[in-house]
Amino acid sequence: MKQFNFSCFGRLFLSLALTLPVWVFAQDDQPLAPVSRTYAITNVNIIQAPGRKIDMGTILVKDGIIKAVGKTVSIPPEAIVIKADSMYVYAGFIDGLSRVGVIKPKEETNRERPKDPGNPTNERAGITPQNDVRNELNPADKSLEELRSVGFTTAHVVPYGGMLPGNGSIILLGGSSADNMVLASKTAFYSELTSAQRVYPATVIGVMAKWRELYRQANLSKNYESLYAANRSGLERPTTDRVLEAFYPVIDKRQPVLFKSEKILDIQRVLTLQGDFGFSLMLADVKEGWDVINKIKAANAKMFLSLDLPEAKKEVKEGDKKEGDKKDEKKDDKKAKSAVELEKEALEKRKEEFSAKYTAQPAVFQKAGIAFGFSSLSAKPKDIPSNLRRMIAAGLTEDQALAALTTTPAQLLGLSDRMGSIDNGKMANLVISDKSYFNEKSKVRYVFVDGQLYTLDVKEEKKGDKNGAKASVQGNWSYSTETPQGTNTGKIKLKNTDGTYSGSITSNMSDRETEIKNVAVDGNKLSFTFDFQMGSNTMAIEVNLTIDGTSFDGSMNVGSYGSFPMKGSKDPGL
Amino acid sequence: MKKIFSLFFACALLTTATAQVQRGNMLIKNGTVLTITKGNLENTDVLVKDGKISQIGKNLVAPAGYQTVDATGMHVMPGIIDAHSHIALTAINEATQPNTAQVWTGDAVDPFDVSIYRALAGGCTTSHAMHGSANAIGGQCETIKHRYGTTDPEVLKMEGAPRTIKFALGENPTRVHGEGNGIVPRSRMGVEFVIREAFSEAKEYIAAWDTYNAAKNQKGFRGTPPAYDLKKETIADILKGNIIIHCHSYRADEIYMLLRVCKDFGIKKLVFQHVNEGFKVAPELAEYGAMASVFADWWAYKFEVYYSTAYNAAILTKNGVTTSINSDSEELIRHLYHEAAKTQKYGGLSDEEALALITINPAKQLGIEARVGSLEVGKEADIAIFKGHPLSSYAVPMVTVVDGVVRFDREKDADDQRIYVDPKAVVDNATFHNYSHNHDNCLEGAELNMVKLFGLN
Repeated sequence: MKQFNFSCFGRLFLSLALTLPVWVFAQDDQPLAPVSRTYAITNVNIIQAPGRKIDMGTILVKDGIIKAVGKTVSIPPEAIVIKADSMYVYAGFIDGLSRVGVIKPKEETNRERPKDPGNPTNERAGITPQNDVRNELNPADKSLEELRSVGFTTAHVVPYGGMLPGNGSIILLGGSSADNMVLASKTAFYSELTSAQRVYPATVIGVMAKWRELYRQANLSKNYESLYAANRSGLERPTTDRVLEAFYPVIDKRQPVLFKSEKILDIQRVLTLQGDFGFSLMLADVKEGWDVINKIKAANAKMFLSLDLPEAKKEVKEGDKKEGDKKDEKKDDKKAKSAVELEKEALEKRKEEFSAKYTAQPAVFQKAGIAFGFSSLSAKPKDIPSNLRRMIAAGLTEDQALAALTTTPAQLLGLSDRMGSIDNGKMANLVISDKSYFNEKSKVRYVFVDGQLYTLDVKEEKKGDKNGAKASVQGNWSYSTETPQGTNTGKIKLKNTDGTYSGSITSNMSDRETEIKNVAVDGNKLSFTFDFQMGSNTMAIEVNLTIDGTSFDGSMNVGSYGSFPMKGSKDPGL
Repeated sequence: MKKIFSLFFACALLTTATAQVQRGNMLIKNGTVLTITKGNLENTDVLVKDGKISQIGKNLVAPAGYQTVDATGMHVMPGIIDAHSHIALTAINEATQPNTAQVWTGDAVDPFDVSIYRALAGGCTTSHAMHGSANAIGGQCETIKHRYGTTDPEVLKMEGAPRTIKFALGENPTRVHGEGNGIVPRSRMGVEFVIREAFSEAKEYIAAWDTYNAAKNQKGFRGTPPAYDLKKETIADILKGNIIIHCHSYRADEIYMLLRVCKDFGIKKLVFQHVNEGFKVAPELAEYGAMASVFADWWAYKFEVYYSTAYNAAILTKNGVTTSINSDSEELIRHLYHEAAKTQKYGGLSDEEALALITINPAKQLGIEARVGSLEVGKEADIAIFKGHPLSSYAVPMVTVVDGVVRFDREKDADDQRIYVDPKAVVDNATFHNYSHNHDNCLEGAELNMVKLFGLN
C-alpha cells in the first residue's frame, strides 16, 4: 500500500496550467460602421510576399479587396488614409489548425460510467464526424481577437470532441455572424487519436481499431448505397448512418483527413492509418516530426507545424525566482549534492538538446524540401511572435517563416487565388507592424480582415510587476502542477487579516484541505509551506510563486524529491 | 471480405517492407557457443552476414568491413526471448469490454521505452508485447525485436511473426467486468461463456460471409452483405488457425476448461501464460500440444495464485510440454537467465533444458522458432554474449546483438540511454519508479483482494 501512496504523492506535484493571457489591446466594443470601406495605407514597407518588397509604397483597399499596390498609387478622396510611415505590411497570416472562435463545450466532469462501457453511444465515444464546426462558431469569442492581434486573419478551425470531432471550416478572424466568418466549409474531416473517457475506445489501441472498423464499414455501406441507387428493386434498403456517411467524401478523396498529431508516435500511427487506407492527409500541430520526414514525404501529407515550443531556457536572472532553489541546495549535504547535481545537470542538458530540436523543426523541414504552414492549436497567441523568432534563430530565414505564415498555407489550403500575398484583386487581409514583424521590439498596429480595419491600442508594458509592486494575494487561486505521472489541480485560499496571511490548499488527489503556513508576501513574490502526509511520514513542502496580475508561476519544492513547476490563476469574483 | 482482408494484409506488408531494419555483419571470435539445439562448441567463431548467421566454426576469417567481437573466455548464446511482456507499449489494456479481439498492441508500440534497452542489458532480444489480462478475450499482441535506437515502431516489430492474441481466465476478467461493471463474466462460468459465444458468433460470421461471397458473383444476385465487424474478423482468424492464443490462466480447472473449448472449436494453436497450476494438468497439456509459459518462482500475489510451486517449469518440461519462463515485468526481463537457472535448483533441469526455457521454447510459442531461439546457420543473428555461464549466479551480460547489430555493449553503456527526452518534463529523481507498466500487469487488484480477504495491508 505504500507504493500506492507514493504514486499519489508523485501526482500531487506538477503543472502546466493554461493561465489566461493578459491582453494589453483595447477591445472593439460594438464599432460603428466605418464612414468608408476604402482605405489607403501610405508610406509603408510592403512585403507583398516572401522576397517581394516595395519600400515606402501605398496599398489601396476597397470593399474588402486590394485594389492597388505600388509606389505611385492615386488615393481617391473617400479613402481613409492610414499613415503607416516606415511601418511594415504583410499579407494576413493563415493558421492551419486552431479552435479560435469555436465555443468550448462545458466540461462534463464525473460523468456516470455507462452500464456497459464497451458499447457507449457514438457521442460518448467521441465519434461525431457528422458535426460541423460552423454550428459552434462565436464571432464575439475573445480568442479571435487574441489571435488576430498577433497578425492572423484566417484560420482552419475544427470542433471540439474525441477521436472524430467533425468537419472543419476555414474562417476569417472577424465577422458579424458565424456564417459571415466562414470562407469555406467542410474543408476537412478532423480526427485525433484521442480516446474516450472510461468507455470504448478508452486507449489508443481502441481508437486505432475503431478507426479501421468505421472506415471499412463506411466503404461497404457506400458501395451498397450505390448498388441500391442503381437498381432498388428487390434490395433491402440501406440504413442511413450519419457517422459512416461522413466518411464518404474521405473515401472519394474529395475531403482530406486533418489529423492533430503532435508527437512522433502519434504521427507514425496516423501515417499507418493513411497507409492502410490511402486517404488524403493533413498533419497538423506537429511538434516532433524531424525523424519521420521520409515517411511524411512518402504519404504526401500536407504539413502544419506547431507554433507552440517548449519554454525557452530562462536567462539566469540572479535574485529572480531561482533564489528559492538555491537556498534549498545550500541546505543540502555538500557531499550528497555533487553526484545528484551532476546527474541533474546531465538530464537538464538533454532536455535542452531536445528543446533545441523542437525549435529547429521548421528549419529541418525547410531543408528537407517539405512545404509547411503553421498551426496555433496548442500555442498561446502571445507567445507566437517570440516562438517565430526562436525558430528563425534556429535556422529558418525570415522569408521562409513568412512563407509558412502566408503563401504556403494559402497553397496547402487551396486559397492562393484569394490570399497569401499582397496583390491586386486579393482579399484585404493585412497585418501592419511598426517594425519588421520578426523584430523583437515590433508591435502589430493594424490588422485588416476582409477589408475590415482593426486598430490595436499599443500600451507600454506594465512596469512595476516585475519589480515588486505589491501584488493582490488575497482570494481563491486555482493551481496546477506537473510530474511525469500526470497533472494535478487544486485550490489555494488566501486570506489577509490585518497584514497577516493565512489559508489552505487542496488537491484533487486528496480529500483533505491542508492549512498553509509561513505565508510571506514580498512585492509580487508569494511563498508558503505546508505539510503533506505520505504514509507515516510528513513531508514539508515549500512553494515559491511570482504573481503577475491574476496568474502566478513558480515552483513547489519537496526536499529531496525535487522541485516541480506550479502555475495558476486567480478565480474570478473573489 | 477476403478482398478487404487481402487488401489490409497487402498494406500491412507494404508498411513492414518499407521499415528500414538495420542488419549487420560481424564475427564473434573464440567463444563457448551454446547453440541450444546442437550442443556446445568450445573455442568457436560465429560469422554473421546481413543480420543472419552464415557460418559457425573454428578459425573463421572476417571479410573486410566486418565488426569483430572477441568472445574469448565468454559464452555465446542465442538472444533471450520473453514470451510474456508489456514493455515498449503505450497502451496495454482496452478494459472496456470482455472481448476486445479487435484491438492490437501493434498500434501502441513505443520504440522509445528505455525498458527495451534494459532488457537488452540482460541479453533479451525478442519479447512478446502483450495486451493485458482485463478481458476474457483481450487484444492481439505484437512480437517485437529489441532493435533499440530506432524511432520507428515498425522497425521494432518482428516482421512476419505470426499473429497472437491474449485471452484471460479467472479473477482479472471477472473482477473488471463482473465486479466492476456488473456484466458477464462474473464467474469462471461466465468467462467460458464469453469465449464460447465469441467463437460461435465468429463461426456464423464466417458462414454468412462465405455464403454472401459465393452468391454475389452469380448472375442476377440481389442481396445485402453482412455487417463488417473487426472483432469477429479477428476471432474468425483464430478459428482458421491464423492466430496463436496466449491465455492468462492460473488454476488447473480453468486451464482444462479452455482445452475443452478449443477442442470443441478445433483450435490447436494454444499457449497458456502463467499457468501456475500447470503441473497438475501437464499430461493433458502435452497430449493436446498446448504450451506453457510460466514464472520461475512467483506466486501468492492473489487468491487464485496460491497453489504454486517452483518445480512447475521442470514438471511441465519432464511431461513433454513445451515450456518457457517469462517476465511479465520490465524488471524480471533483465535477468531471465537467472530465472531459468532456478529450474536447476528446483527440478534439476539440464543446462540445455534450462536454457531452452528462455530461447527455443518461447520461440516455438511465438511461432518464430525457424528464425530465432538457437544458434544455427541461416537463423537471425540475435545473440547474447555472457561473461560466465548464463546459468551461473555470476553471469554478466556483456554484449547483445540483434540482426547482427550490437544493441548493447557493457563497455559503452552510457548513463542516459533515452532516445527522446520530453523538454517539458520535470527532471525527476532517479528513485522514481516507472509506473507506466505497473497499473496494467497481471497483479492488478492483488493488494485489494488481500485486504478484502485477509485484512492484510
